[in-house]
Amino acid sequence: MIISQLGYYSLIFGLLTSIFIFFNSSIQLKKNNLVISNKTFGLIGFQFLFVFISFISLIYSFIISDFSNETVYNNSHTTKPLFYKITGTWGNHEGSLLLWLLVLTGVLLGFIFKSSNEPKNYRLLTTLFQQIIVIGFFIFVLKTSNPFNGIFPVQTEGLGLNPILQDPALGIHPPILYLGYVGTSIIFSAALASMISNYVNKSWAKNIKFWILFSWIFLTGGILLGSIWAYYELGWGGFWFWDPVENVSLMPWLSLTALLHCILTLEKRELFKKWTIVLCIITFALSMVGTFLVRSGILNSVHTFANDPSRGIYILTFLLVLVLLSFAIFIIYENKNFTQKSEIFTLSKETAVLINNWFILYFLSVVLIGTIYPIFLDVILDEQISVGPPFYNKLILPFLIPFVLFMSIGPSMKWIKTNFKIGVKSFLVIVFTLILSFITVYYIGEKNMFVLLLFVGFFYLLFKSLEQFREKTKNYAQIFSHTGFSLLLISILLNSFSSKEIVKNIQVGESFTLKNEKIIFKKIAVEKEKNYESIIGFFEVLDEKNKIINLQPEIRIYNEPETATSEASIKTTLFKDRFITINIIKDQNFFNVRYQHKPFMIWIWISTLIIMLGGMFAIFRKNKEVNI
Amino acid sequence: MFMKSKKLLTIKILIIFIFISFNLKSIAMASTFYEEQTINITKNLRCLICQGQTIHESNSDFAESMKKYIKGELENGKTDEEIFSSLVEKYGQWIVYDPGISRNTLLLWALPLLLFLIGGAIIGKRILKKI
Repeated sequence: MIISQLGYYSLIFGLLTSIFIFFNSSIQLKKNNLVISNKTFGLIGFQFLFVFISFISLIYSFIISDFSNETVYNNSHTTKPLFYKITGTWGNHEGSLLLWLLVLTGVLLGFIFKSSNEPKNYRLLTTLFQQIIVIGFFIFVLKTSNPFNGIFPVQTEGLGLNPILQDPALGIHPPILYLGYVGTSIIFSAALASMISNYVNKSWAKNIKFWILFSWIFLTGGILLGSIWAYYELGWGGFWFWDPVENVSLMPWLSLTALLHCILTLEKRELFKKWTIVLCIITFALSMVGTFLVRSGILNSVHTFANDPSRGIYILTFLLVLVLLSFAIFIIYENKNFTQKSEIFTLSKETAVLINNWFILYFLSVVLIGTIYPIFLDVILDEQISVGPPFYNKLILPFLIPFVLFMSIGPSMKWIKTNFKIGVKSFLVIVFTLILSFITVYYIGEKNMFVLLLFVGFFYLLFKSLEQFREKTKNYAQIFSHTGFSLLLISILLNSFSSKEIVKNIQVGESFTLKNEKIIFKKIAVEKEKNYESIIGFFEVLDEKNKIINLQPEIRIYNEPETATSEASIKTTLFKDRFITINIIKDQNFFNVRYQHKPFMIWIWISTLIIMLGGMFAIFRKNKEVNI
Repeated sequence: MFMKSKKLLTIKILIIFIFISFNLKSIAMASTFYEEQTINITKNLRCLICQGQTIHESNSDFAESMKKYIKGELENGKTDEEIFSSLVEKYGQWIVYDPGISRNTLLLWALPLLLFLIGGAIIGKRILKKI
């Protein structure tokens, strides 16, 4: 009870500090001091501290199951394991917005620490813009989503957390994702600040590059965790569904990836200034659009905790204010910043970056339009359509081929001007790519020409990226992320074309076959855990070499709230995952068994980690001068 | 004479046997064909009572009865298009994951492609101007 009060008042103090910082930095902007007063740093520190206290109070209320708090009552239960009591803190609307605030204030603190050599006005203006966002979200939390609302009379037991959210990967998915997703706010604030303080140049690019990489790495990690969770928890072996809630995390990722390539060009060549600023604004706007779509309850998904139109309207209004503000600043300061014109030669790294941005922005527009078009159609014409995988496959796959080809040759381009030589070696790479692609397509038994072309493109990218290891000046950031990306595409393609599955309704003791494997349903057992009961199926798989593989899929019946979930049992090897799930068939002794071969599954996760590793190389090599 | 008729009988039995086994094989093949076709179709259908799942993925009663229904329709000789259009008629466009091109979805397909062309034009102008 007292802890909830502490959390609530800490939030109020946080809001007051924000307003104070806002005016304090505006006053300092007008002064001619060369340094920022220590008071500002102190205030930013305190602001973070207040949000942090409030966040810890909420976690504490969850740990002790304080059911006088409405958020805890709605989302927790005494029988839950400690880990899920803690992760339950952000597994709901109110708590996740508190996490938003924590990251918003945290990245500002980090930014101030990391920018001590930057111009005073640039730092102050960034603080100022970040405060506008922070204040907006403080008011949003306090007004529409207060996590510390009390309930009376005090309840003795809570309503529990949605069982499919009770999972280790999903427990840490929100904080990781938010570091990336909300981290883009500081890029937005810094972009506006750099325009006003006439600082859109190489030094600015160096400074903001860290935050772009930071957001990009965490966003990649957050999406990866979400996919892994979907793979084993949703029970049918897929990892990406082009579901609107997935799309809203992919959109800022795409725009960050484009921005990442632009900022490197700005750093080296002082080019694409206008476009870089636009991308900074777009990226954060997309984060806000995502928050709006998910929080307003327009989309129907596990992420939509409550349907409350007032929340949606608030975020939408706030988003419009921010977009109009940045638009106005862009128009006013446009001529001050972007007068310089430099030449671009056709064959140069600059052109390669432009083409990269052209394609990525196209992919972004496909995802954006595919996600919001159905909403508009529903609102305007009252017609409901579904935009699913066929739409995205048709519009994205054909464009991937030229995209990966440009991506293969882009890194070997030079800045300013490239003289291309086609030697014997590049010819050999092409021949090798073609042979390997033919073998692969033959092996998976696919006769489609288009699939062959996809493989040719993806393998070519892989070999061209690996070839970079032989260069004298190695750019590990680029080599790793590009190699990772090509491996990701190859594994996804192999996975989607050679997955095998069989669905059978069988009883204990019966068996069935898939390819050369025999799957035997041995027995069934019931176990009781603290917060669920589980029905475990024991299966033996005899593979082609007659080796026995044991699989134990479960059906869990959670007590609070009472829900049944199906837990897949997965045996992973380098070349394929064996994936099995069971379901009860009503009023019968039969079980519905779904057994699948998912080839190269683990490579999808590994290649994403390699992509992230590339980003980390880029962060740590920052002091050395290397060609990108 | 007797020998001959015995031979004939053997051949007859053999022919019947081959015919039956051939038929059995084609029946078996047909049934896996219908199963695969059912999977292809249900992968593109939304399970109306689930959250963002296809009928193929779902084990709900609705999905199970739809799978049976579609397999039955296929065995009755209906084509994929006929099945899709009858379902759209009954449940609306919402049930199909492929939005298809129609008056309502023209912009959905055209807008991204249009943006791609505009982007290409801007970049092309910028690069080629300098040559």
